[in-house]
Order: sequence, then C-alpha cells, then structure tokens
Amino acid sequence: MTSTHQTEPTLSLVDASRLHGEGPQAVRALGPVSLDIFPGELVAIMGPSGSGKSTLLSLAGALDRPTEGKVLIEGRDLADLSLAELAALRRRVIGFVFQDLNLLPGLTALENVALPLELDGSPLEETRTRALEELERVGLKDLAHRFPDNLSGGEQQRVAIARAFVGPRHLLLADEPTGALDSVTGEAVMRLLKSQCARGRTVVLVTHDAAHAAWADRVLFLRDGHIVDETVAIDSTGATQHGLPGQVQQNPAQHSQPQPLSPV
Amino acid sequence: MIIRNSFLTILAAHPAHGYGLKSSFEASTGGAWRLNAGQVYSTLSRLERDGLIQSSEADSPERRSWSITDDGQAAVASWYDTPVDNRSNRDELVIKVLVAVAAGERDMDRVLQTQRAATMRRLQEFTRHKIAAPPDSELPDLMLLDAMILRAEAEIRWLDQCEQRLQASAAS
Repeated sequence: MTSTHQTEPTLSLVDASRLHGEGPQAVRALGPVSLDIFPGELVAIMGPSGSGKSTLLSLAGALDRPTEGKVLIEGRDLADLSLAELAALRRRVIGFVFQDLNLLPGLTALENVALPLELDGSPLEETRTRALEELERVGLKDLAHRFPDNLSGGEQQRVAIARAFVGPRHLLLADEPTGALDSVTGEAVMRLLKSQCARGRTVVLVTHDAAHAAWADRVLFLRDGHIVDETVAIDSTGATQHGLPGQVQQNPAQHSQPQPLSPV
Repeated sequence: MIIRNSFLTILAAHPAHGYGLKSSFEASTGGAWRLNAGQVYSTLSRLERDGLIQSSEADSPERRSWSITDDGQAAVASWYDTPVDNRSNRDELVIKVLVAVAAGERDMDRVLQTQRAATMRRLQEFTRHKIAAPPDSELPDLMLLDAMILRAEAEIRWLDQCEQRLQASAAS
C-alpha cells in the first residue's frame, strides 16, 4: 500500500473477506480488504458498529480465518499454519488488548505479564526478568506485585500492554483499549502505544474515539466491510510552537471551514 | 470587538506602544491571529475617540505610548462580566450538510466521509503538534491546540451522528 517501505509488512491482508453463512444467505462481515501494516506503525481503524472493525482484528490476530483471500503475518500465510503453529504465533508475536477484563484477577501484574512466556515454556527466571523489564517500560515496575483489583483502570491497561509486548511479542492488536478510561488516562495509554511504536513495535487499534485515533500514523475508515478512506498523518517536521496556527492560516482547505480563530 | 477589547485588556495591565500591543496580542493568542499595522492603528484611534485610552504626545503615531482611562478600565470589567455567546448556527459545514440533505442528495455517505477524512487529517496534524510540544511550551500555545483538537473532535462526532440519523431515517 505504501511504496516507501522497504521492509516486509508485519501484517498483510490480501483480498481478505469473512462471510458468515453460505450461498445467497451469506452475510459479508468484511471485505474484500487488502492492506499492509509495517513495523513501527500505529494504525487506527474507525467505523460504525457492524462495519467490520472487530472482524478485521480477529482475522489479523489469527482468532478467525478469512473465507476468501489471505492474512499474512511477517510474510507467513496463516492458512499454511497448523493450530499449534497459530497458537505459537499468538504467544510469540501477537498480543491483544481489549476494552476491559484484560487481566486474570488471581495473578499479580507481574504474573499476568509473564504468562505468555510461561505458556511458551521459557525458563522461570528468564520469564520473570523479561516481565519485569516490560513492566518497567510501561512505568509500573513498582506495582509489579499488585493484583489487578488494586490497580486503576489506566494501570490495568498498561499491564495489558506490557503483556502484549512481553518477550519477543511485537504486534499489538487492540479493540477499544481506551474505551473504559477517562480522557486523560486514555491519552496516557495512547502516548504509551505511540512510544512502543517508536521502538519498532506495531499497533493496530480499533476505536470510535476520533481524538485517540488521531494519534495514529494512519487512520483507516471502514464502512460495510470495506476500507472507504485512509488518512495519513502529515509529517510534522518543522513543527514549532508558532508553526501550527500559521499553517492553519496558509492551508487553503481551512478557508472552507469556519474560522473561529480569525476576526469575525 | 475582540481586537478592541483585547487591546484594552493589555493596556489595563500596562501602557504600551502600538507595536508592543500587536506583539502582546499575538503572543497571548498563541500566534492564532496576526494583526497588520492598519488594524492596530485604526483600533487605537477608535479607542481614543471613545475616550477609553489616551496617549502621550509624539510626532508620529508609532511613537505614541498608550494608556487606559477610567472608562477603559470599566469597559474591560464589563467585557469580563459578559459571557461570550458562541451560538452561531451558521457554521459552513452544518449548512452544507443540511442543504445537501434537504436537496435529497443520494450519496450523503460520500459527503460526510469526505469531510470526516479531512477533519481527521487536521486532527492528526494537531495531535502531532501536541505530541511534539515540549513540556515547557507556552500556555497560550497549548490552550489553543486544545481548543482546535476538541473542535475537530466535535466535528467528527457530529458527522458520525449525522450518518446514524440518516441511516435510521432511511430504515424507517
């Protein structure tokens, strides 16, 4: 989709569709959709309910299979993988974050973060070290031994993000991760996701919140199972404190908009 | 009226020359609004005519130092005491959508989506500025950015709501 990328996409959908039912009764939940998402990208998907956002995320996360087309993660066609290989992919590459109920209540923050590594059979000592390292990255090292009940909503989401990126995991699929948070906490979560992408990790985020979607490098708009639009963030090189309003005045497109900041 | 009242507010704090007023106004509004010399001096002469400011004698308008009068102080107080009425219903986007709907435009989805994408680009741009803003940024710059982000967000939410209303109306 973007020709400037030399690297292999982390995630690709190639004419992927998901139909429910068969024949004339079939309902098309998604597609055909084609897209490439590259390492280090933060991509937001927006669209009304029923537009296919969650279906797209399920296909991307190997939780569901396309009825037509392909889903590739780092060049590997998911259709070619066995169930065991898919499970390994979910432990080693893909992490999920949902709106809520992300953490197991009976485990501490540290144990929650360590879980994917533990399930993958890593040695206990390494598991612990890696989990603690990841908790430190999200600023929660000091709360490592707390249980989810004793963490705020924002802290729980940060633990979930740490778990989604623990060890070798580097693709985070998030469904309304800020949906249950107040706007300040939600913004802190977006800032954290953005910083993870700066480390070369990849985030695909479904959201209905325009202010949070605006943190993304690209925003894809879904309607009736299709991508109808895509907006790419303008590179803000040369962004200065006074650059913003100046640019707003110079941009001719702005003049078709109400100009509340101009003389009236 | 905004420029006039802003000048009075600045002069209520301290006397200033025309150029100083222009700079203070531009800095305090985060650079949102650039003034030209003509605007500055015509505003000052109107304020003087109305007895709200007075000036020292000088051989050219640029050299005159302006200070506020008692009537000017009262005008500032009255400006603060009067809430701004932002109830404008003549927003160009709102009117455009309403007229298109009334005219029976079939492809309203496209009209709404074109705008939504444009507003999202703007919101992404503002957000980039917010991300890049150093922690010691000037308060007016940050507050201006907040205002623009929230306005763009409201616009997108309104477009979403228009779409839902049109769908509900088409279904019934």
